[in-house]
Amino acid sequence: MARKEKIQGSKIAAGLTRRQLIELNACTRCAECRAWCPVYAQDEREVITARGKLDSLRRFVDGTLTEEKREDFINALYECSACGQCHVVCPVRIKTHELWEQARLSLVNAGIPQPAGQIKELAAIKEFNNPFGKPRNERPRWAQMAWKAGLLKSPVPIWGERPASVIYFPGCMASYEPSLQPIAVQSARLLQEAGVDFAILGEDEPCCMSKLRRMGDPAFPEEARKRADQFTLMGVDTIIVSCAGCYKGLRSDYRRFWPRAQKVVHLSQYLDQLFQENRLSLKWKTPAVVTYHDPCHLGRHNQVYDEPRRVLQSVPGVKLVEMPRHREFSCCCGMGGGLKAVSPEIQHKMAAARVREAETIGARAIVTPCQTCYLGLLNGTKEASSSLKVLHLNELLVRSICPDVTHESVKNALASTKS
Amino acid sequence: MRESTVCPSDSKTSSLIWLSEVFLQRQLFMMSFPRWIIHILIFYGFIGLSLLSIANWILNAAGYLTVSSTLPRFYLRPEGYLFVKIWGDSFGMILLLGLAMASIRRFMQQEARETSNQMDIILLVLLLSITLSGFALEGLRLAVMPAGISRYSYVGHFFSPPGRHALEQLRPWLTACWILHFSLVATLIAYVPHSKLMHSLLAPVIIGMNASEEHQRGDLYWPEKKKYREARSPRG
Repeated sequence: MARKEKIQGSKIAAGLTRRQLIELNACTRCAECRAWCPVYAQDEREVITARGKLDSLRRFVDGTLTEEKREDFINALYECSACGQCHVVCPVRIKTHELWEQARLSLVNAGIPQPAGQIKELAAIKEFNNPFGKPRNERPRWAQMAWKAGLLKSPVPIWGERPASVIYFPGCMASYEPSLQPIAVQSARLLQEAGVDFAILGEDEPCCMSKLRRMGDPAFPEEARKRADQFTLMGVDTIIVSCAGCYKGLRSDYRRFWPRAQKVVHLSQYLDQLFQENRLSLKWKTPAVVTYHDPCHLGRHNQVYDEPRRVLQSVPGVKLVEMPRHREFSCCCGMGGGLKAVSPEIQHKMAAARVREAETIGARAIVTPCQTCYLGLLNGTKEASSSLKVLHLNELLVRSICPDVTHESVKNALASTKS
Repeated sequence: MRESTVCPSDSKTSSLIWLSEVFLQRQLFMMSFPRWIIHILIFYGFIGLSLLSIANWILNAAGYLTVSSTLPRFYLRPEGYLFVKIWGDSFGMILLLGLAMASIRRFMQQEARETSNQMDIILLVLLLSITLSGFALEGLRLAVMPAGISRYSYVGHFFSPPGRHALEQLRPWLTACWILHFSLVATLIAYVPHSKLMHSLLAPVIIGMNASEEHQRGDLYWPEKKKYREARSPRG
């Protein structure tokens, strides 16, 4: 159905929960969301802010939103990274990010589709089980190539061939994207260094489908249930993820379908535990003044703030300096919520703003434990023409534990193995 | 593997959080002290006057129905009337002060001006008109009352026309002022469902839901004040 067609407000209301309908009217219009919104800072339109979207959505539901403003609102709803900063600063604590996701779903169910960029990405995820439209058999290739290149202590077992109670789940980004594959290799190597008995799912590794939820695709519950059933049948004890998006998807979004979602941990949490158990030892000094970027899905949405910081600070020679906006107030890099698929230029500007923030405190590198944020921040350094280094948390650890698998060396080794 | 921090649900703590968020408006206090003062003055002024109106209505109804003759008589006649006057004037003054500060902020401060829309202005003007017309009505009433009573209306006194007047003399003014005040109040009540004032009814509900959830997660509701302020400094 075209966006211009008349949609009854009751159809939109039917897709929202009672609580969300109350929230539409609970906004105090204090404008605090406007002061903090990282998207508004790049595109100063009132409708972008949480209070602007809440007001428009309320009018949409009431049937009093004009045609022109409806179009503005729909665009603004998707021009949002659903980072949740507005939720944290809202005096009423309206659960904004959940509301935006639910509103997107409600709009789709009412016949208003997502923007073209998101539709394309969603179609690829549903058809190929990854957003790149690549075949399944390419998924575990990073592990095979890394073993061939001598980057691992032993081959990474595939769960179907040799089951283990611990699963490493690199996710689509680190499995397929060549610039991120070193993160998967480093993760596997660090687990091997600690003597963890783990496996990967290989070709059977599913996409977590969290993007379906972020972009309001109605197929999410069914797809999530399928994956939850798969994990239940496997009987795994722990799933380690190295992507904050997968973490939010598997742990938070799957919670209502999968009671064992609590068994999903982020790599930074797992590494922290390994350090506490003295299973990993840091050998070489890595002098660096770094700052830490809290991924929204890990921090604000799941309250994982301390573990990655502890890991980072345990590296000898590393000095951690905090940016003015950190922890609950960390400024989004723009990679979440499907924003990049809709408006890459806004994502680049948001990441550039974050990079500049890191520069102002004298950091030489910005460290993040999320591969998606890593990619987003790299866009930011290009946009800001900055010399600031973007590092994944793994990078500092491998420099101190196993310096033969630094990002650059793994990238080059994988490229030469491939050729 | 260790689970992330999850505090057990505790109804006492959740209730305390709700009370501090709704009645002390802690979150607003952390956001901005001037805004907190303005909001708290308007909030308590409004609540105080609403309670007075409700009490008056009940006492009058009880008086008519002679349910309990002593209590209504005490408060509606000179012996206890001073409590009503002091209560009304105090909360009226609190409300007026809050509204005056809100007007200054809304019209003089650049950030507030930029974020204001028609609704903000309409509500502010409406609330100011209701408060001022209430005091004008009070002043007119004092002008036809014995001097002994009027001294308890320490704010309304300033709105009273000079000298003593007979009731008949001021009746048209009293009626007009009452109609104006009543109409403005009725307008406000009719406007509430279409305005941001709905938050006064619904925000406590959402805060209550969040208080228990966020306490269970052990995360957001008690961020350290200092950290919050430090983090907020770089805007946009």
